[in-house]
Amino acid sequence: MTMNAMTQHPSGGLGIAARRRLVNLSTYALLVLAIVVMWFPLAWMFSVSVRPNVEVMKMPPDWIPQVFTWEAYAKILSSPRYLRVFINTVSVALLVTALSLFLGAMAAYALARFNFLGHRMVLMFLITTQMFPLVLLCIPYFRIFISLGLYDSLTALVIVYLTFTLPFCILMLRSYFLNIPKDIEEAAMVDGCSRVGAIFRTLVPISWPAFIGAGLYTFLLAWNEFLFAVVLIESWGKRVLTMAIYSLLAEFVTDWNTMMAFSVLASAPLVVAFVFLQKYMVQGMTAGALTS
Amino acid sequence: MLYPLIEVARLSLHESNLTRETWVGFGNYATLLADRFFWATFLNTVLFTVGSVVLHLVIGLGLALLLNAGVNPYFRSFARGVLIVPWLLAPTVAGMIWVLMLAPFGVFNGMLTTLGVISSTSNIAWLGDSATALGSVTAMNVWRAFPFFMVMLLAGLQAVPQQQYEAAQLDGATLWQQFRFITLPSLRSVIATIVLLDSIWTFRAFDPVFVMTGGGPSHSSEVLATAIYFDGFQKLKFGYASAEAMVMFASLFIVSAFYVRRSMRSVN
Repeated sequence: MTMNAMTQHPSGGLGIAARRRLVNLSTYALLVLAIVVMWFPLAWMFSVSVRPNVEVMKMPPDWIPQVFTWEAYAKILSSPRYLRVFINTVSVALLVTALSLFLGAMAAYALARFNFLGHRMVLMFLITTQMFPLVLLCIPYFRIFISLGLYDSLTALVIVYLTFTLPFCILMLRSYFLNIPKDIEEAAMVDGCSRVGAIFRTLVPISWPAFIGAGLYTFLLAWNEFLFAVVLIESWGKRVLTMAIYSLLAEFVTDWNTMMAFSVLASAPLVVAFVFLQKYMVQGMTAGALTS
Repeated sequence: MLYPLIEVARLSLHESNLTRETWVGFGNYATLLADRFFWATFLNTVLFTVGSVVLHLVIGLGLALLLNAGVNPYFRSFARGVLIVPWLLAPTVAGMIWVLMLAPFGVFNGMLTTLGVISSTSNIAWLGDSATALGSVTAMNVWRAFPFFMVMLLAGLQAVPQQQYEAAQLDGATLWQQFRFITLPSLRSVIATIVLLDSIWTFRAFDPVFVMTGGGPSHSSEVLATAIYFDGFQKLKFGYASAEAMVMFASLFIVSAFYVRRSMRSVN
């Protein structure tokens, strides 16, 4: 748009059409260049994951693997210890997402529809939780979970993740609910629905884009979280992906292909989910930043 | 949420390891504020934050403008989707990739050697040299999080009414004038929001530094979040770490206050 404006001022020797084509071409060229540069680390991650370790630190580097091998993937997928890590991460992320959406919807409804005492305080509190330096909470959480006997358990992770994903879901769903006319649930209630029934039969089905957006973002946060996974989990059987990948660096410094294969496997679900749900994710990001 | 905060405040006034606590009043704070390392860490955190946020904004705005400039809508959504991927990665994973690339015999030095910038015998240990460690971590963080700015600014750009540009063109406004007087003012509120948010997120970030350098070499890339972790969980000085956390919280609070005020205005 702004670039097209150039065509209005044919000041150089070129004609309008030629200038326009040039501007257009350079826009595409710059974008393609940006994609190549920004994807280089991702391409390298994949390329290292399918080559033997001896080929990783070669000078000058081989851009294309000389020996192509899936051995790193085979190693991960055949190890019960590593598979356990995937199961842990999936369960924690799914559980956190489901609980955040369910509890979030309830709280968001209350905040969107009722004007109760302390309404503003609650909102302010929710926004503040999004700004909290999480490392500040590490020490007290660590001590609390030790005294509750929940240290080194996935339950502890689920609880901690909920403390920051839930406020986000509440804020995002609330702003969506606000744009939906009250009449819709009221009509359902006139027709004999209870209030809860009306919420689940009318409001929730209408708001599904917000649920997908908030759900994806929550899933992303829970899947990628690292700090609390380090502080609250100790044994290998309870580790999640981020922590496991970090441990690989600490334990086997040179096993790069396994580490990168792990990284590919850890990122793939998010990328695939994103490809299919890009639109909602972008809505979620946009709304998330503007409400939370 | 509130209880942990009170607990940290209380701990910060004690000298404490896991088993016993001794009241020291503001002793921890006194030690902290007199500590040269603490101030170096604080400065690192500020540099890391400012560097990341400024570059996020420059790259994000540049790409958003390119994407918004008359490209084919299919190509636009393809390019946006492809460019967003770094943001989906866990900071841990992104950090690992960069650790690998920036290693002395890694691909980045390989590239520089091929281009003739450095000779093959003088490989740079990007993360092992105190002159480059913090910059390298910042570079990784810029790469990982620029898509957020790109997406937000693109959404902002697409909301600018087309007629404004048409009117400006009729009046003979130059491209720069259009950018300066139409694009920037329309994006002001989006930019303010994401800059505040990103500053808060980066200021409190733990993963990139912890994974890539662990704050080293010799604390040259230490930021507040990692310092708190190491003091608390490795040196077991929970009281001192809590005092650091309180100082961090106070600094963040100032920035957050702006953000909370902005959000409350839009919420009502």
